[in-house]
Amino acid sequence: MSVESCVLQGAEAGGFILIQDTVKCTGRGLLKCFINAALKRGEDVHVLGFESPETEVCAGLDRSCVQKLHFHKGFPDPLGWTRRSSFTVERFASQHITQLIKDTQQAKASVLVVDSLSLVLRHHDPLVFCQTLQELRKGGVIKTIIGLLHSDLHQQGIVGIVCYLASTVISVAPANNERHSVAKTTRRTKSGKVMQEEEYFSVCKDATLSVQAKPRQPGHVQKERDVSEADPTSNLTFNLRLSEEERKAKEKVALPFVFSQEKKSALLKPTPGSGRIVYEPDDNDDFDEEDPDDDLDV
Amino acid sequence: MFPELNSILNSTPDSFKSSDFILVSDRRADASFLIHHHLSFYLRAGCKVCFLGLVQSFSHYSAVGQRLGVSLAQAREKGQLVFLEGLKNSIGVILQEDTSQETQPLSYLRTPGAGLEGLFRFVERSVRQSGDGDAGESWGPPVLLIDDLSVLLSLGVSVGAILDFTLYCQATVCSELQGNMVILVRCEEEDADDDEEGSNLLRRGLVHQCNLALHVEGLPTGYCRDIHGQMEVWWRQGEETIYNQRKIFHFKVHDKGASFFARGTSSAVL
Repeated sequence: MSVESCVLQGAEAGGFILIQDTVKCTGRGLLKCFINAALKRGEDVHVLGFESPETEVCAGLDRSCVQKLHFHKGFPDPLGWTRRSSFTVERFASQHITQLIKDTQQAKASVLVVDSLSLVLRHHDPLVFCQTLQELRKGGVIKTIIGLLHSDLHQQGIVGIVCYLASTVISVAPANNERHSVAKTTRRTKSGKVMQEEEYFSVCKDATLSVQAKPRQPGHVQKERDVSEADPTSNLTFNLRLSEEERKAKEKVALPFVFSQEKKSALLKPTPGSGRIVYEPDDNDDFDEEDPDDDLDV
Repeated sequence: MFPELNSILNSTPDSFKSSDFILVSDRRADASFLIHHHLSFYLRAGCKVCFLGLVQSFSHYSAVGQRLGVSLAQAREKGQLVFLEGLKNSIGVILQEDTSQETQPLSYLRTPGAGLEGLFRFVERSVRQSGDGDAGESWGPPVLLIDDLSVLLSLGVSVGAILDFTLYCQATVCSELQGNMVILVRCEEEDADDDEEGSNLLRRGLVHQCNLALHVEGLPTGYCRDIHGQMEVWWRQGEETIYNQRKIFHFKVHDKGASFFARGTSSAVL
């Protein structure tokens, strides 16, 4: 399941898509692609924006669908210090979020986007956070949850817990090429099958995803290796090279332990003129006409 | 201010990027010369500067500023510079002599677990004050300078609380008021298991938030008399540059400035 199809089709109901990023490569561009694709599919998108301003998150999104986007202002006041936010981090609980979504008109199955889960984890107990996520997935009001997590800001155990909860995990990392990044997608279907894929991608200005060739494909190597092979037989005081006749003679030599057809017939068939063995069985001998070596595959 | 650094960062006091969060960090080196650069830069540009000087006295910055051609005392008198003298005021907070409003920003000294809301309120008040200098001068966009943030870690404030504080500062100073922010963080040696709360975790959290990261380290090959260290410039997300770009420069700090050059082009080598 490539990251492109993930973005375009979204997840199945009750899915949780996790985008993991680090300081080396930000995942917010990919998050924007998900939002844009969901809007184009006609779904209601609710964004809990704690870390970035609305202008940044909404920049480049398709203008025609923007009315389906509901940005709940956490930023610039995610903790309620200046009383200017409509949704603080503290209220990240299933009953508050469900109420928030039901309050908007035409609340059909919506997509919930959280930017970012790192801020929520900083202010909530991990256990309670996981319970909240599970309740939201099963609540029925939300079709898909998409979250951004800065994996280098938390302990490995906590990142592991959140990944385990997710049905799709996309990790972004920088590629050798500055223009692209690498996305590693791990998707778990309901049947338990796990699919993994790794691709180059870049985010265009209109918040669409552009996927390039997968890494490790021949002919798409981005970094040119400067390898010049030195010829070991040059510049020597003795001759290590072969002339044409020498090469032909060398190829003709039969190697000692290679069992070729000529060797086999030479060994098995007796040459004429050499000693013959005449065997006359005694009465007591148990003479068997069959060749005991018949079953050997020689 | 250092002219070579201005050309590297493509900014001058007359034209510089606004809404910028610049993170200055160092590891086993001293990046405070970059703080002096930015202080003189923004004072020359005519911006309203709020400086949280938590580790040195006002006279120290004033003396260095004199060598770089700006007068901090004059700027403070005119109202262009608001200086929080952390060292001097902290004694009053700890001994609880002074209970005026001035001590609220340093409330983390008594209750480090409570967070930095008081400090943020001080910053907000300072940057929102309209310019009421002589003859009604109005200053340029506000600038917040902090030297240095990692000292709060050793005072018992958690990394999460500091990241919340910088998020709020960025929201107010950069996003709302279109000003700039320059923060210095000093890091320790990277450990193998770096999940613990510490200066490296704080630096990573701040790099996620910032637009430009300047990281100063010593030379990996060891001490050199003519090159004092290397500085990595990391341009992170901006409107034009979506892709990360990192470049390393060598520098040498003089009495009245610092010179920057590309690797391998030091005058000692050429």
